[in-house]
Amino acid sequence: MFRFQSLDDDCTLEEEEEEEGLVEEEDEIDQFNDDTFGAGAIDDDWQEEHARLAELDERVRDGSAGSDASCTALPPPPSAKPPPGLEESRGEDLVESLARLILGSDPAIAGVSASGPDRSQFGPMPQTQAAPSTHAVGAPSLLSYQQHQHLLHQGTPSLPQVNSHSIWENSMGFGPVGVNPGLASHMKDSPLLSIIKEVGLPKRPPPVRSEDGRDLSERVPPPRSSSPVIGSPPVRAVPIGTPPKQPMSHALNQIHCPTVHVRAPVQHRFPSPFPERLSPNTILNIANSPLCRPPFPAGVLSQIQQAQLLNSQVRPFPRGSPAPPLLPGGAGFRPFFGQPPPRVGPHGPPPNSIRHNTTHLHPQHRRMLTQRMQNRGDHGGRGCDRRSRDPYSNLMTQREKEWVARIQMMQLQSTDPYLDDYYYQNYYEKMEKRQERDRDSSRKEHTTKLITPQVAKLEHTYRPVQFAGSLGKLTVSSVNNPRKMIDAVMTSRTDDEEKREKQVWNKRRQILYTVEKMYSLLLEVQDFEKKFLQTPEEERDALLEQHKNNTLQLYNSIREKEWDDRVSDEQCLMIMSVRKGKGLIARLLPFLPPPQAAAVVMGVARNIPALAKKDKQDQVLCCLVDPVAVVIQSMSSSALTDLLQELQGSEGQLPRVLQNKFGVTLLYLILSEGERMQSSDPNCQLMDDNRWTELVFSVTRELLKVPSSSLSPPLFTPPNLLSLFSRYVDRQRLELLQEKLQVNALSR
Amino acid sequence: MNYMPGTASLLEDIDKKHLVLLRDGRTLIGILRSIDQFANLVLHQTVERIHVGKKFGDIPRGIFIVRGENVVLLGEVDLDKEYDQILQRVSIEQILEEQRLEQQAKQESERLKLQAVKERGLSMPKADALDDF
Repeated sequence: MFRFQSLDDDCTLEEEEEEEGLVEEEDEIDQFNDDTFGAGAIDDDWQEEHARLAELDERVRDGSAGSDASCTALPPPPSAKPPPGLEESRGEDLVESLARLILGSDPAIAGVSASGPDRSQFGPMPQTQAAPSTHAVGAPSLLSYQQHQHLLHQGTPSLPQVNSHSIWENSMGFGPVGVNPGLASHMKDSPLLSIIKEVGLPKRPPPVRSEDGRDLSERVPPPRSSSPVIGSPPVRAVPIGTPPKQPMSHALNQIHCPTVHVRAPVQHRFPSPFPERLSPNTILNIANSPLCRPPFPAGVLSQIQQAQLLNSQVRPFPRGSPAPPLLPGGAGFRPFFGQPPPRVGPHGPPPNSIRHNTTHLHPQHRRMLTQRMQNRGDHGGRGCDRRSRDPYSNLMTQREKEWVARIQMMQLQSTDPYLDDYYYQNYYEKMEKRQERDRDSSRKEHTTKLITPQVAKLEHTYRPVQFAGSLGKLTVSSVNNPRKMIDAVMTSRTDDEEKREKQVWNKRRQILYTVEKMYSLLLEVQDFEKKFLQTPEEERDALLEQHKNNTLQLYNSIREKEWDDRVSDEQCLMIMSVRKGKGLIARLLPFLPPPQAAAVVMGVARNIPALAKKDKQDQVLCCLVDPVAVVIQSMSSSALTDLLQELQGSEGQLPRVLQNKFGVTLLYLILSEGERMQSSDPNCQLMDDNRWTELVFSVTRELLKVPSSSLSPPLFTPPNLLSLFSRYVDRQRLELLQEKLQVNALSR
Repeated sequence: MNYMPGTASLLEDIDKKHLVLLRDGRTLIGILRSIDQFANLVLHQTVERIHVGKKFGDIPRGIFIVRGENVVLLGEVDLDKEYDQILQRVSIEQILEEQRLEQQAKQESERLKLQAVKERGLSMPKADALDDF
């Protein structure tokens, strides 16, 4: 809130601090802060001033006759009663005398002010710390209006003594009621004028440095940055309310000299090219002087009447000056138009115009408003008379109003109007289109355009935080970056691949199914014995029958379709490709009748290479060894030979067989069996058939040929192999064979 | 002077007589002298107007500074229409008396209500739990 009257001790400090804090934020005002940067800092020392004034005061005191300025009938002081107690200030005498001097000697004022210095009524009226309040009549702006009235009534203001600057500055300072020009023009003979001249005309009151507390300059908000944002978030976008920077008016240039830029003005700051400390009044008067002079000398005019006069002088000005330069400077001017148009009633409708800091409006909206205002301007200014008589008006200075307006404007800024105010935008767009359509409906059809946001879509890929060497990812997630819980990677397979895979799986499933079925049969077969014992006599036959069937069935499932004594290679392979299948065969063999078992073994022998390949992972072929051995031992010589032949099979099979442990073992088994046959039974038919011999020969050859590395160690080496070989090979070879076998056996 | 066209702002209302309704139920009538961005108000020559039925009474209060958040609504008073109203103006003492009576009556009815509710086994929320007026 703006302090136009501080009645409270408590707020003072706060305001002071705020004031000083704000001073720092200011940039443009500092341009005109002659105190800090200009003449005030270099040349003028307020302390010197004070000293000078003190001297002056003594002179004045001697000289002053205590003339009382009398005030004409002014509206009675308002209802607010002066707070009790008068605070004596230090240089009050000085203040008083100065005031008296001014009031007395200034013919303009002399007739105006009331009679008799009545301090009692005064003291509490200004701030409780009376001291630096500029009650100079020449500083009406800094007084509340009320105080001013009292002043004029009683004629004894208590001028500030400490901050003497303020007196003179504020005497030239603003006030809607301007006695200033009158004062200025008639103080020529005042000894104080020299000081005024020194100090300079439009001056910003310095920040409160008085020892006793406030001067009334606190009523005027301290110099601030044009962006009155304190503690609010920084503005990024150009505020929609920013008026374009315009060249300043010529007249205004004369007033101020842009001196020092304390801080580079941020572009969003509302550029205020001239000190708004200046009363618009003052500026106008200065500017106006070439244009028009007050039609009468400063006579006996009431304050208000003078103000009215000045205000009326405002009117011709805007028309006289070119519009654009008016704008930024117009920031100071225009409000003036706006404020007292009621007062200016008789002079015509005020030039209502939309401020240029309202660029946030949709153009259509703006158009409508201008139209509306024009309409309103025609029949406006009705209550002006009433308002013109209000002595308390304009307590809120123009600057303050603009300050608030600026804040409010900033809240309207938007980088994305569609997002922030969708309905507003749409409404005006539709209105525009409607109007356009109505206007030129004959010509073409306007289709509504779809406006899509132009914002580039940013890809926000979430990369989870990972520490080197740690397992997994941190469980830190938020609503904006939800953590990827599962690194699910989609693998797309083509149709063919999928089909193939399916087929493979299907086949495997089929195999397993077959194996399972066979197993169930096998289990029944295995349990037969037990069952047989348990079942009563009558049912045994049936059971036996069933058992036979089962076994037959089992065999059937692996045998060749057409041949009875041959196992289907395909089927065998299929079953044996699965580990379970191998186990199945191994368990099955004992239950099969000898010819069928032999057929199975032969089938196995035949396909050893393939089986070996398939067995690479499982390595369970060797489980077959025992049952196979049993089978072999029950085999006939011809069968054995056949078996051996099967084992050798096609060209190149034997080496492969030899590579595989089971193969080697099987081979040895066969050979050993053959040997046993031969050795045991001299009449064995093994030798009759040349095949055996040939086969053995080829075996030996192979054994010799094959390097030791590729000869897989067998599960066991039958001892009678050597004797077998000794029958067929010569000594040399035998020895070699022996070696190999030994090595082989040892290498197990 | 149009400060902020197209927006709602109190800047146009400065130095005009306003009626302000506060959150605690008070009605203030005063000349709006100064505002700030929080809509804190400075009212000059403020009068607190108490309405009881068709009667009202004014209590002059002087200068009021109202914190923005406590304002329910405010509106400009049409000075022409201000005086021709059906309401009857009475003295302060009278209106305060009327207000007291009204308050009493209300409390009584409230008490009865509460009792009735209690008899039925329900409970009514306490007044202090409810916000403002």
